[in-house]
Amino acid sequence: MNPAIYTQTDKCCGLTSLIAHVRPGDCVVIGGGLSSREPMAALRELVRQAIGNLKLAGSAHGIDVDLLCGAGLVAESAESYVGFEQDFGMAPNYRRACEAGTVAVRDSCCYTLVQQLRAAIAGLPFMPMRSVRGTGFMAMHPEYKTMICPYTGEELLLVPALKPDVAIIHAQYGDAHGNLHIEGPPVADILFAKASKKVIATVEQILPTGQLAEKGVTIPYFYIAALSEVPYGAHPTACYPFYAYDRRHTAEYYRLASESAEAFNGYLQTYVCGCESQTGYLEAIGGVKTLGRLASWRQGVEAWQALYA
Amino acid sequence: MPNPNQCSLGEVMIYQIARTLEDGILAFHGFGSPLVQIALHLAKHTHAPRLVLVAGATYGVNPGPPFLTPTSNDWVMDRGAECHLDIGELFDLAASGRMGRMFLSGLQIDRFGNLNVTRLGRERLQIKLPGGGGGCNLSCDVAHVTIWIAAHRASPDAKGRRRFRLVADCDFITSVGHRTAEGKSRSEMGYRGQGPDGIVTELGVFDFDESGHARLAALYPDVEVETVRENTGFGFPVRKDLSTIPLPTREMVEFIRALDPLKIHERELKPEERARSFPLA
Repeated sequence: MNPAIYTQTDKCCGLTSLIAHVRPGDCVVIGGGLSSREPMAALRELVRQAIGNLKLAGSAHGIDVDLLCGAGLVAESAESYVGFEQDFGMAPNYRRACEAGTVAVRDSCCYTLVQQLRAAIAGLPFMPMRSVRGTGFMAMHPEYKTMICPYTGEELLLVPALKPDVAIIHAQYGDAHGNLHIEGPPVADILFAKASKKVIATVEQILPTGQLAEKGVTIPYFYIAALSEVPYGAHPTACYPFYAYDRRHTAEYYRLASESAEAFNGYLQTYVCGCESQTGYLEAIGGVKTLGRLASWRQGVEAWQALYA
Repeated sequence: MPNPNQCSLGEVMIYQIARTLEDGILAFHGFGSPLVQIALHLAKHTHAPRLVLVAGATYGVNPGPPFLTPTSNDWVMDRGAECHLDIGELFDLAASGRMGRMFLSGLQIDRFGNLNVTRLGRERLQIKLPGGGGGCNLSCDVAHVTIWIAAHRASPDAKGRRRFRLVADCDFITSVGHRTAEGKSRSEMGYRGQGPDGIVTELGVFDFDESGHARLAALYPDVEVETVRENTGFGFPVRKDLSTIPLPTREMVEFIRALDPLKIHERELKPEERARSFPLA
């Protein structure tokens, strides 16, 4: 089946309708990376709607994947990294779920993922590459095959096309038509958008199409099925230039997630299930005071540095 | 830093990692690796001004971050970058042979430089590790690899058991060194890159002998060969010209302190190692 294109004039909707595009059992890829531009408000809504049995794929992730694991929505993970780097360390919910066997461990690697997405983008069944042969990933992924190159005679690895059911992306700006403008590193978002059957997006601001075009379109509208304007939709990860990473909130998340699954349920109750909307969530995280603190990075290096202390 | 004429273990390790960088190459640091992030900036500031420095997570080229953050994909880390690559282009550079050096670590490092950051437990998963990012691909493709670890020392627990980080064999091979689990060499596998040429730890520096086995090449001034043996899960040869590692200069240490006022790099070190100090060169 050929991948769809999405041509509606106005794709704006609320978070509830946006997330209804995800079905239980879907292969989902999440935009952003590590502590930056994760579509956290969309993922919180996914948790509220309890759409589970998800198969995740991705490059370097952290709190996004950990949250979904902690909410019990993940059946399989083909991420290449899930953790909190030097800041806090290993991802507690992800670890618990993998070690309990509720999440099937199907780790991938960044370039393997890139090649699999490129195959999907080009409409090809697979892409070749040299690496990965000789590592533990071969036994973990029986779908990887080798072949002798008909041109050079060398052995190559073939990785199958990856066509995610849904890509969930948070961008700084979008327009009603669905065009997205991403500022700063796009991570794998552009590849995800082109390889997936559909993209759903949250944005900090919806702009008139002319203004968005002036900023530049990172992902064209016809890949996007629906989008919602959700200010602070990446919190507690960063979405510059609007706001920096909320280390203080992440520390609270990490403390509860590390303590136990029960303690983490308390987090979910306070910040996810107990907040019906993003407005409620923003109140729960400390309202304007917190938001002002996260915008203070603009005041200079000293203020920026203070956010990490 | 209490004594102005001393430097810390972290600063000495950063210098050892920086020394493995050649001038005029393209090198990449991954994420979650502050010692390496700083080492690349130190190398570019000192002996490798023509280094093409690609920052992990942001893929910014030749950035000048005002300070180091505890997370890698932050706008702080790519301020002043000349340009940015995307994820596909970065890994293409390695696959096509343009990337000269990469830096990899592991919860387990084996005698042939294979690394495990995927899982502990062979038959049954005991601990799920975070995963290797693109390390698996890069270990095959990049021209040269520097391995580093700041937790070589495996102090015995209450029952006298040591959990080695340098092990004879990894539970899982995330990134390849000089021999696969089946015993195949890199040339038999047809990898583009030459593999790891050093392991920098907080006790010493290893190179690799002709068989691809780790060999002790240098020691920190406060470490004996016997200490390295006690803390290593495999026997290893020692270079005849075993040396003492060189120490950084005052100017280098000042550069490091200015770049990392929050001392993010110390998070890679165990608290007991942070107390070690060395005279400046």
